[in-house]
Amino acid sequence: MKKFSFVAVVLVLICSGVIVACTGCGGSKEDPNQVTMWHWMTDRDAVLQQLAQQYEQETGVKIKIELFAPSDSYSQRITASSQANTLPDIFGILDKKEIFADFIRYGFVANLTEEFAKDGGAWEKSMFPKALDVNRFKPDNIYGIEPGIYGVPIDVTNIQMLYNKKLLAKAGIKKAPTNFSEFLASIKALKRVGVSGLVSGWGEIWMADAFASNYAFNIMGEEKVMATYKGDVKYTDPDWIKVLNVFKTLSEAGAFMEGIVTKPNKEAEQDFALERAAFAYNGSWCVNVYHDMNPSLEYSAMLPPTINPKRPMKIWGGAGSSFVVKETSTRKDKAIAFLKWLSAEKQQALLAKETRNLPANRKALESIPEVLADFASVMDNTTHPTIWKYNELPAVTEAFDKGIQSIIIGEKTPKQVASEVQAVKERETEKAKRRQ
Amino acid sequence: MNEPTKRNLKYLGLHAFLLSVALTCLFPLFWMFRCSLMDNQTVFTDKGLIPSVINFGNYADAWTKGGFGVYFFNSILYTVSVVVGIVLVSSLAAFAFSRLKFWGRDAFYYMFVIAMMIPLPGSFVPLFVLMNKLGMANTRIGYILCMINVGLSLSIILLKTFFDKMPSDLEDAARIDGCSKWQIWWNVALPLARPAVAVIVIFNSLNVWNEYILAQLLLSDDKLMPLQRGLMAFAGKHSVDYSLLMAALTISAVPIILLYLAMQKHIIKGLSSGAVVG
Repeated sequence: MKKFSFVAVVLVLICSGVIVACTGCGGSKEDPNQVTMWHWMTDRDAVLQQLAQQYEQETGVKIKIELFAPSDSYSQRITASSQANTLPDIFGILDKKEIFADFIRYGFVANLTEEFAKDGGAWEKSMFPKALDVNRFKPDNIYGIEPGIYGVPIDVTNIQMLYNKKLLAKAGIKKAPTNFSEFLASIKALKRVGVSGLVSGWGEIWMADAFASNYAFNIMGEEKVMATYKGDVKYTDPDWIKVLNVFKTLSEAGAFMEGIVTKPNKEAEQDFALERAAFAYNGSWCVNVYHDMNPSLEYSAMLPPTINPKRPMKIWGGAGSSFVVKETSTRKDKAIAFLKWLSAEKQQALLAKETRNLPANRKALESIPEVLADFASVMDNTTHPTIWKYNELPAVTEAFDKGIQSIIIGEKTPKQVASEVQAVKERETEKAKRRQ
Repeated sequence: MNEPTKRNLKYLGLHAFLLSVALTCLFPLFWMFRCSLMDNQTVFTDKGLIPSVINFGNYADAWTKGGFGVYFFNSILYTVSVVVGIVLVSSLAAFAFSRLKFWGRDAFYYMFVIAMMIPLPGSFVPLFVLMNKLGMANTRIGYILCMINVGLSLSIILLKTFFDKMPSDLEDAARIDGCSKWQIWWNVALPLARPAVAVIVIFNSLNVWNEYILAQLLLSDDKLMPLQRGLMAFAGKHSVDYSLLMAALTISAVPIILLYLAMQKHIIKGLSSGAVVG
């Protein structure tokens, strides 16, 4: 019996060794006609593989698309590969702009400015400028990177409000509200028929921050917001109190769905998709999500209702997913040519249709679903922290966002929150000065 | 209150508590199975414990869409190879640390203990660079060796604790019977440590079966990926196909549940006889 078990173990080992040796140890040789692209988008893998095949048929250049999801482990792989010098020809950098800048600084990312400028800037002109901005380093940027465009966006995204057409009709509301008083009137009408107002995943605090930022830009304008981040304007300024008052007013009007401050966005998406709330604040990715949860949902996108009619409502948006080309790749030209082809109108329209994401190519808008077109139509109104001249200190943002939650649950007043945020700002600025 | 009533009440309380613990553990599995039989819309709307419409087709869809055939084979291969490797290497090492005297024994042992403190993500970059330098990145053997390394520390500690308790008379008797050190390890120490080995097998099987992050880092070729990769097919960045994901999760959970049931007797014995002490 003992002999038998010993033999069994040895056999298992030998079999494992043989299988391992036979099936997995082949080293990969570099093919000069094969471009490798690493991506992280599970839901776009099938259509990217399809496009890669089409590209090979058209040009003879083989594109090897490899998926590494989820995005966290994709980023780890990119970091590890950069250190082992095994980055593919095309990859994405999902981290903050300063990490993007590091990749450029250490020679991993090609400057694509010349390519974008060719043929009178045809490639650049075909894209949404806001999508390119995320991949652009302006002259005198704080990272010390040579000015230029370093990445190619394949889709764009923005965060807006959505309304359920059926629920609004049920409350007798004929058109979506465009200003704040109309919005408050809609909430009243919805309450009368027992429908919840606004739902959003503000348990994920950055979404509440984005909403507040929309109103900060609308109430006081970009210049004053940037001046606040720089430290020249205080959070106790009446305009900032007005921004915080938006949450107080909405909370007192019963506009928020119950539990909004702790709700994860996935749950908020379910609430809107299942018609439990009439309005939602969500990103353009929701089109895909709502389609999966409730294909018959009738809804449309709208800008958050304005308070100050003299200033436009600015929403967060920009490049959704972007790719860069490895600077030292021997197939750099082929990699750039593929990205150029991938971001062209026809391919972008296919990507948008199949994945329900907004195309980065503005010419592709004509052939996309109506609700996506609604989202895309306001791309010129978008802004994003990654392209701002100044960004707020993380501790201040955290205090501000927590303050919003306190206002919504009636724990603090806008004035109290503003004073507390200003105190944090002064403390953090002092700390930053000492560190310098 | 008389004695039998007191005893019955005590048992009733104890059983109620154990039942609630069992329910807490089993309910997520039941919910996973329940959702695997629904479609993506009814997952959110059907509130009943038993779905109003049952759809077993999700399993076939999950298997084909997730490409489970090759991933399943890979996961079985990785699990068997890694667990066999860990049991062999850790039992030899633990035996040496426990029963043999050699220079630097304690220092080497503490090195393994310290290695346990390093979280896996902390070693990602060095591991990836090392595997690339050795030409073992994107190979099955590279991944298997890394996973054996990951499981060694805990297994050595568990087995050493067990071997430490082995009476030295047994070893002496085997030596008088003419056994070499190898034979004592194989014929005496290892059979006695069967409960501890069972614990190591189940712990490491679970670990390898559910591992994905290291596989994702070291392997590029889709054909080499483990089962967890198949699950990713149903979870996009923003949208999730819940019904297929739950069917896929059920498929991936079945082998490990069967393994646990098969080894349950040994695991309980191993745990209760102090296999996890220290």
